[in-house]
Amino acid sequence: MEAVLGRAEQAAYDSDEEKLLIEQAQNGSREAFEELVRKHDRDILRLAFHMLGNREEAREVFQETFLKAYRSLSRFRFESSFYTWIYRIATNVSLDHLRKRQTLKEEISYESDTESNPDRPALKDTLAATTYYSNPERRLYGKEVGERIQEALKSLSEKERLVFELRHYQGLRLRMIGEIMGSTEETAKNYLFRATQKLRAQLGKV
Amino acid sequence: MSCQEYQRQIVLSLYEELQEGERSGLDTHLRECTGCRQAYKEHQEFSSALAEDETAWELPADLLVESRRALANELDNIERKRSWWRMPAFSVVFTPMRLLESATLIALGLAFGVFISNQQGAPTPTGIDATIASVPQNGRVSNVRIVSTDASTATVEFTGDVVQPLRFTGRLEDDTTRQLLFSAVQDSMNPGSRMQAVEVLARKSSEPSVKEVLIHALLNDENLSVRLKAFEGLKPFAGDEDVRTAFMEALMKDPNDGVRVAVVDALAPFTKSEAMANSIEAVTRYDENNYVRLKGQGLIHMVGAQR
Repeated sequence: MEAVLGRAEQAAYDSDEEKLLIEQAQNGSREAFEELVRKHDRDILRLAFHMLGNREEAREVFQETFLKAYRSLSRFRFESSFYTWIYRIATNVSLDHLRKRQTLKEEISYESDTESNPDRPALKDTLAATTYYSNPERRLYGKEVGERIQEALKSLSEKERLVFELRHYQGLRLRMIGEIMGSTEETAKNYLFRATQKLRAQLGKV
Repeated sequence: MSCQEYQRQIVLSLYEELQEGERSGLDTHLRECTGCRQAYKEHQEFSSALAEDETAWELPADLLVESRRALANELDNIERKRSWWRMPAFSVVFTPMRLLESATLIALGLAFGVFISNQQGAPTPTGIDATIASVPQNGRVSNVRIVSTDASTATVEFTGDVVQPLRFTGRLEDDTTRQLLFSAVQDSMNPGSRMQAVEVLARKSSEPSVKEVLIHALLNDENLSVRLKAFEGLKPFAGDEDVRTAFMEALMKDPNDGVRVAVVDALAPFTKSEAMANSIEAVTRYDENNYVRLKGQGLIHMVGAQR
């Protein structure tokens, strides 16, 4: 988590070299644009993949995000960091895709999962079991945990999921997340709290 | 502040999102409230559990490579469509500097036109030198445009391009031969012709202009055989910087496993520095082909062992 946070913050504020690249790209340098893409594409793809949960849509969101950036880069005025700007595009595109799909519209009630699956072990127990096994087996359990978390993430609203994804997995600060969402840090805090509460309820008492 | 509000602060504190004052307020409350202390412990365990989610950090190995390739192709398409708009005459962005440049170009063009017509004495009505009496035998006229018609004399004036069949024999060293081969590589619709042209040019691939055309074919030709032929021509020069750069690009974006395997093999003997090995490893890290991936990783060890 520390590493991710460090990387994200560095990317957000590492601006001198980036400013030059942006200016070159604005003047039509394809190479400069591709270098900008390279600096952020892994994070954007991870965001898209986590948000959408499947390869095809993640690839579409990835492509749409950078093509939008390519087409509108001339209008970028350095009022925010490039990192924030590209994330804003990516989150909007991801949310559009989620809305189109309309599969995350229904809120799942907090209790339903644990009540309807009384035999399912709590997340803590699954994880505790993993420590007794050798690595490949542990990976298998890790995968199982990951799948359960992915499933639980579906119980979140679009915005809750977005904030949780950006804070927990991408390591962005809530202030920046508020900026990306065109909202405030306080709103982002509320979404993060609600997301965590729902996830805990979904994944069982740890 | 209610325990419910402290619950919110507990979550935020675990994400290190509390202000210093809020943090000490929470610490004080936790010392006094058993319920919130228990909740804090549970949240802490939950955070650790989430951190154990091994899949969370992983992207499918080939997804990044695929996505990058698809994006690069799409950017190519956009650039192709845009390229003619970039010519000064079609530029749609009128900055003062551009306007000045355009005005200068027009003025120079007009001055040149006046100079030429004065030199020639009696100009043709259309200003076109290549006025012809008839279309050459076997010739084909394209791009025909009617310039004027005169009903009184029943005459029509055209402009157009005459395309004539050509047979030419020349040595590879001759400029005309080279130009024709370059045209074949870059413009021919026939992949067989492109491949033959590349094959012939490959004999002179040490020459910069030939190398450039082969690089263009390697990176842009849609036909696999043409790309492979271009690669073969360039392979002996994998140590040259421009060829190496082209190989790296091919390694990154060529959709064919065979090309990427050949390229990574060709780069291996010239990978002397750690930086170069790292670049190759980064490009091949998510390649869908096992050989390419392993070869990329192997180069780092190889360079390390040589030190």
